[in-house]
Amino acid sequence: MTIAVGQSIPRIDGQEKVTGRALYASDLKLPNMAHGKILRSPHAHAKIVRIDARRAEAMSGVVAVLTRENLTANAPYFGTYIKDQPIVALEKVRYVGDIVAAVAATDEKIAEKALGEIEVEYEELPALFDVDAALAENAPAIHDENPARKDPKYGYGASLLRHDDTNIFYHFHYERGDVERALKESERVFTETYYLSGAQHYPMESHVCVADDRGEEITVWSATQTPFPLRQEIARMFGLPLSRVRVIVPYVGGGYGAKSGVKNEALAVALSRLAKRPVRIYLSADETFKTLSDPGAKVTITTGVKNDGTFVARRCEIYFDGGAYANSGPTVTERAGYRAHGPYRIPNVKTDAYCVYTNKVPGGAFRGFGGPQVSFAYESQADTIARQLNIDAVELRLKNLLGKGESYTAGNIVIDCDLKNELKTIAEAIGWKEKPEPSKTPGVRRGKGIACAVKDGGGVNKEANAMVQILIDGSALLFLGSVEIGQGVRTALMQVVAEELSLPPGKIQVAPLDSAFTPFDRGTHASSAITVMGQAVQAAARDAREKLLALAAEVFEAPASEIALEDGQLLFGGKKAAVSEVMRRHFGDLEGEITGRGRFKVERREDAPLGYPATFWENGLAAAEVEVDEKTGEIRLLNYVSLTDAGTMINPLHCRGQEEGSVLFGIGHALYEELVYRDSQLANPNLMDYRLPRFRDLPRKFHSIIVEEGGGTGPFGAKGIGEGGTLAAAAAICNAVYDATGVRLYKVPLTGQRVWTALAEKPGAKRGE
Amino acid sequence: MDETTVSLKFRLNGRECRAEVAASELLIDFLRDRMNLTGTKRSCDMEICGACTVLLDGKAVSSCSLFAFELDGKEVLTIEGLAGPNGLHPLQRAFIECGGFQCGFCTPGMILLAKSLLDEKPDPTVDEIRDYMDANLCRCTGYQMIIESIQRAAELAREAKP
Repeated sequence: MTIAVGQSIPRIDGQEKVTGRALYASDLKLPNMAHGKILRSPHAHAKIVRIDARRAEAMSGVVAVLTRENLTANAPYFGTYIKDQPIVALEKVRYVGDIVAAVAATDEKIAEKALGEIEVEYEELPALFDVDAALAENAPAIHDENPARKDPKYGYGASLLRHDDTNIFYHFHYERGDVERALKESERVFTETYYLSGAQHYPMESHVCVADDRGEEITVWSATQTPFPLRQEIARMFGLPLSRVRVIVPYVGGGYGAKSGVKNEALAVALSRLAKRPVRIYLSADETFKTLSDPGAKVTITTGVKNDGTFVARRCEIYFDGGAYANSGPTVTERAGYRAHGPYRIPNVKTDAYCVYTNKVPGGAFRGFGGPQVSFAYESQADTIARQLNIDAVELRLKNLLGKGESYTAGNIVIDCDLKNELKTIAEAIGWKEKPEPSKTPGVRRGKGIACAVKDGGGVNKEANAMVQILIDGSALLFLGSVEIGQGVRTALMQVVAEELSLPPGKIQVAPLDSAFTPFDRGTHASSAITVMGQAVQAAARDAREKLLALAAEVFEAPASEIALEDGQLLFGGKKAAVSEVMRRHFGDLEGEITGRGRFKVERREDAPLGYPATFWENGLAAAEVEVDEKTGEIRLLNYVSLTDAGTMINPLHCRGQEEGSVLFGIGHALYEELVYRDSQLANPNLMDYRLPRFRDLPRKFHSIIVEEGGGTGPFGAKGIGEGGTLAAAAAICNAVYDATGVRLYKVPLTGQRVWTALAEKPGAKRGE
Repeated sequence: MDETTVSLKFRLNGRECRAEVAASELLIDFLRDRMNLTGTKRSCDMEICGACTVLLDGKAVSSCSLFAFELDGKEVLTIEGLAGPNGLHPLQRAFIECGGFQCGFCTPGMILLAKSLLDEKPDPTVDEIRDYMDANLCRCTGYQMIIESIQRAAELAREAKP
């Protein structure tokens, strides 16, 4: 019987969140705080000839106007990998919505009004609205100079190719075997191209921060997923030591990747520096749409197989529409490239993944991180291959799937779960062998589809530190830099401490996240918190426990190794003492505390393609039964089953929440969500026109299966969770649509118009070979 | 900025209140900035997402799309006023117990919309929950666990009544 692990104990933020007392960054008010508003570019690509902010500056209530003329930063550009994004536009603007200037005023309305008083003269430049235009030979350069960048050092099979002075800002290449020869020798070769629209994360809480620049030190309160990288960027940009930049993270109203890296924090600092008071920036929904997106992608995939269905070779070419600034585009590209061949045994692989500047909203991290784009392609193609070879789609996958313990690539951890068995389980759950019951409505067809995908989980080159304090009354404090973005990580890791210290969960408090006293962490993304931070927290708890046992050894006058810690009691022979008693006997009446520290760092491996192994394999399987209305192109999900492996569930209820939430993200991508551009303009930057999944979109029959295969590197065998559900949704649904109609859909989301057109154009057509 | 102001008398979370508001002041700003009730959340600002839901005379409304003066003579309930003297409301308990939220940003609005549903229909079917709750958005949970939370709240409310 465990004390806490494996139990759905209530989340520690539960009471505050259901009573409205939880304080989010957007709720923060500081004395003398000014409100910042942003002037955004109406042009997709233009030189700024002149800016005159004098009239805005003269307005009553305006405390600062920031333009390129008065920006004082040591380094005005930021970017996670490529420093290409200025705090405010310097020479030119690069997309509609790009930041031109900002105003801080005593209230939001005055700030908004002052924006209209800033005169800007633009000289329009030719703009590029898609990847093909950006790659054309005479395409104008969106970034005139090659921005500063730090490129990773890749290992076996992987390389980074530079295309300086073009709009390609990242090109990841991975290769093993001899693809060209293997394709030539293959009995069948399939080539298809798949397209995914750009999407918006839409965290319910927009990007928000408050910055207070007091000259020699800066404090930033931000709804960020990456407090420490944010601290580093702010320190670098404003020329302060890290110790003088403090980042505090209150509750965050949703992340999904959107809140990784610098957003408006540097702008708020620059405004605060001018205004000499704290400045808050809270973006409107429209501005959130214009800050970051999931980049649209085109994936061309070629697979060579034997007639019996054995995969022999795979060639992938991926183009991301990266938008105007690199953001996390380089790593999304790298990871998409690394994941593109899927969880299959394929001796010959060659992948090229590109990220390309266009004059659109920047693309970056989004739940799944390049995984959903490539898994849509490879799992749709698996279906095409199965049908063309007349092999059952499940059987084809079983034939080629990597088994537990097999290598995905050199240098990485082996596959840590039984994908084949999982596939059989989900096939069984959807009734794979039975045909769907036909609809009674004429023109409505039903079908089933299945998909199975993985992503390397836990990020690359991650490091996490944690601290556990045992206080004199026997209660404990946990300090960790993982951000509570809703996933429940702070509850789950508190449970790990409870287990290690044999303390009831109610005795452990999780300290707020403040870089002034929270140990360093690289960020809350890539489903990494449980495996990466989890190991740091577990080590910190064990360190605290050892120190406690050493104190008990003094008290009992016995070797520490013979003392047991159970249920808040220290036991030796027949003797027993409460933790608090041992602490008091050691420290005396004056208070004292034990501090345990833990660190986890993924070690570099030269043979790992990305330089570092993953900490686990995140998997997402889906089986869908759909109904297609041939008259309207409408698709309804009749039944949907998802499956993932959590290794060991620390908190089963929250694991389920993460899985189901990520499934709805996948379904949104597959059926509804699409950023629509009309030339330069994003045409649907609001919830009226951008379609998010709603209650009624939840499939009539829906359930998630979470298996526990115990193979995770996290505490007690745990694996990360929360992105798997995004991986298989689009392919499972498109495969089901094919089953229903005989038509392959190559682009998601499957809007009614798109489906109707495809059905009208090629009824029963068999494309793909 | 000179602007017409309006005098209001209303009940807020069970207490009589009076206030002067600008004619153009939105209910959400009045609640969040003037009354410091920040449990009411701002998100889409166009009556689509329901994060700003409050109950006006028991009916769910989007406070981002109402003027503050519309409070006059009415009773408004925000999330801060839901828990009673004996602790959390059954919906609040059920949302914690059944995992009805994650980031929590949609939660105040979601719980208040669910209250208005349960006030109308104490024992809703899954279809009724889906249809009614379709007015609000959640980006974290995938909805199923919210549906279960509401069913559980209905059960808790029934158990509480002898």
